[in-house]
Amino acid sequence: MRRLSREAVFGIVCAVLVAGTAGYVGYVARHVARPPAAAAATGGDPGLLGLMNQPHLVFLQPSGADPTQDVVSVAPLEQGTTVRVQTGLHCQRAYFAGGHGICLGRDLVGSSYFFDDRFQVGRRFQQPGLSSRARISRDGRFAASTVFVTGHSYNTPGFSTQTLITDVASGAAGDLERFIVTQNGQRIQSPDFNFWGVTFAADGDHFYATLGTGGHAYLVEGDQTTRTARVLADQVECPSLSPDGTRVAYKRPLPGDKRNWRLHVLDLRSMVDTALAETRSVDDQVEWLDDSRIAYGLQDEGPPATLDVNLWTLPADGGGAPSLLLAHAASPAVLRG
Amino acid sequence: MYTQLRGSLSEAPAGQPEEPVPWWRVSRNVVNLGLTSFFTDISSEMISTILPLYLVFTLRMTTLQLGVVDGVYQGASALTRLAAGVAADRGGRHKEVAVAGYGLSAICKLGLLAAGGAFGPLVAMVLADRTGKGIRTAPRDALISLSSPLSRQGVAFGVHRALDTGGALLGPLVAFSLLTLLPGRFDAIFVVSFCFAAVGVAVLLALVEGRRSNVPQHQRQTLRPTLALLRLPRFRLLVLAGAALGLATIADAFIYIALQRRVDFQPTFLPLLYVLTSLVYLVLAVPAGRLADRLGRGSVLMGGYVALAGVYVAILAPAQGTVVVLGSLLLFGTYYACTDGVMSALASGLLPPETRTAGLALLGTSMALAGLAGSVMFGALWTALGLQPAVVAFLVGLTLAVALLAAGLAWTARR
Repeated sequence: MRRLSREAVFGIVCAVLVAGTAGYVGYVARHVARPPAAAAATGGDPGLLGLMNQPHLVFLQPSGADPTQDVVSVAPLEQGTTVRVQTGLHCQRAYFAGGHGICLGRDLVGSSYFFDDRFQVGRRFQQPGLSSRARISRDGRFAASTVFVTGHSYNTPGFSTQTLITDVASGAAGDLERFIVTQNGQRIQSPDFNFWGVTFAADGDHFYATLGTGGHAYLVEGDQTTRTARVLADQVECPSLSPDGTRVAYKRPLPGDKRNWRLHVLDLRSMVDTALAETRSVDDQVEWLDDSRIAYGLQDEGPPATLDVNLWTLPADGGGAPSLLLAHAASPAVLRG
Repeated sequence: MYTQLRGSLSEAPAGQPEEPVPWWRVSRNVVNLGLTSFFTDISSEMISTILPLYLVFTLRMTTLQLGVVDGVYQGASALTRLAAGVAADRGGRHKEVAVAGYGLSAICKLGLLAAGGAFGPLVAMVLADRTGKGIRTAPRDALISLSSPLSRQGVAFGVHRALDTGGALLGPLVAFSLLTLLPGRFDAIFVVSFCFAAVGVAVLLALVEGRRSNVPQHQRQTLRPTLALLRLPRFRLLVLAGAALGLATIADAFIYIALQRRVDFQPTFLPLLYVLTSLVYLVLAVPAGRLADRLGRGSVLMGGYVALAGVYVAILAPAQGTVVVLGSLLLFGTYYACTDGVMSALASGLLPPETRTAGLALLGTSMALAGLAGSVMFGALWTALGLQPAVVAFLVGLTLAVALLAAGLAWTARR
């Protein structure tokens, strides 16, 4: 008798739990905000084509509905512009160069894709993890993509990154962790190797990136043809090569504080390092507007602080002051036409 | 000593003599404990799947803050395990302590929702969630073994581990489907995850029989008798060998990375390695348990570690290809099926019922700590000497540890 009543209670409890959960999910499903599909511009949109023929920015704008998905958008490369066109493409991190675009993180399982200069989706690929950085070489041949990979189960140590370089035409992908790395002529290796933040040189075969290992964040110069990389400097994260190929802008962790970064520029010929005039912490891979100015995303600190992100611009010589480039925008790619 | 132990171990459920029943039939209690783990694993794997995404995209946490949360997630459960084991043995309150552990983790799913974007409360919730895992593991395993006749411990643990792994495989699928249907609505994930966890607790509360201990009052346990367990020759050997084996075990993540570096397959397939290993484990858990009951748990346990040694050899093999990777995953899943549950079954058979939980916790904690030390050592060796020398060193270590287990089991069996 007692057993029967226990099972009855169990049944009632489960019914209540399932009904309550189903009710909640149903309520959410009815009220989930769907982005207006009609507003999206397609490849043939005259406004979009007009923008593509002048210096412009391809960037991500928050969709307003889903915090994990932003809209690929285009705006003229003018400070304070009010013109912007949204495409129908969504993802978490984007870049565009050489006639090819890359969009990382279309969903939870790491679906990502390339798109063309008419914003039509091309080859799709999977790179599971949290989308972090994306780049395409200036000649449009190669794409670099970095995601954060987290533990799968109970006993997986730590937190790591995965950086792939993909041949845009064939889709063949290679992991930077398979490159042979040297420091002062000696090979170094460790299971804690993590690469992130690739920036391509003009020829596409050479690149710069960050190699994290043993608490260091090395700037490495890599060569895709020999699959090798060598360490150039320490404390250099997310490098971005200037259009003339002489300097990298990067974020440098503050001493003793790995949560905050400052923007610096390193001259690759003289190895002279210059701190820039931004006093806020920047966690982004910056983009060069031209050989003298950079752009980067910063979270809206308010007041009041919001989850929104804005693009800022700053002289690359250490002088001047940051100024707002474009509001409600992140993940910038500059196309000087 | 051994015959005396055997006498106290005849805890086939009261009134259920060991009558001839098919080998796959396990006690209803074991199935219900398996279901509790099944639902709880769906719930917790849902959260571990989406937590990084939630923290970064909804709360705009930096990756470093994410690292802190991840570290807490991975490391929090070992500390409470032993204390909970001792508490569960006192008065035979296995079920009560297990309920506390499962319940704490269930409530934390709602707590994560309530914590919102505040970093401190969020970390506290993750910590409490994992503490719940530490509390529940040993009393649950003790309940499984106390609900099963001595001759069927292997199958009982096999059934439990199969259900447990099934839940772990389903959790990410549920989370992915929900977020695809309801983009960006993490609140729905937390609520559904709580529902699964609460159903798990309800199964435990309503359908699992707690084994009221009939141990006399004066024998109720504290920490001292727990440590005295180490005077049982066979159990002491198992703890020693377990620590040695843990030390020589290369952690999952390293195995997968090593395979990936040796074989140039598309790196996007990396998560598939984990899924395939779990599937092999799921399929083989019950057969391995049965084999353990028939051939001896020690033999199957050693067989499991030989399979692990096979994985090491595969990493070192000069010819690499898809076949080698698939073979390695088959061996790796076999290793899990032959060791995880079988180790608990073997230990349960050596421990008197009144200190079984604490004994299981002691074994689990020492293996976990040794595994942690092993991971640090493997990472250091890889950095200093390279991947292959590190694997060779661990292959030698694993061979020695298996030899220690084999010799020890043979020696203690003779006594």
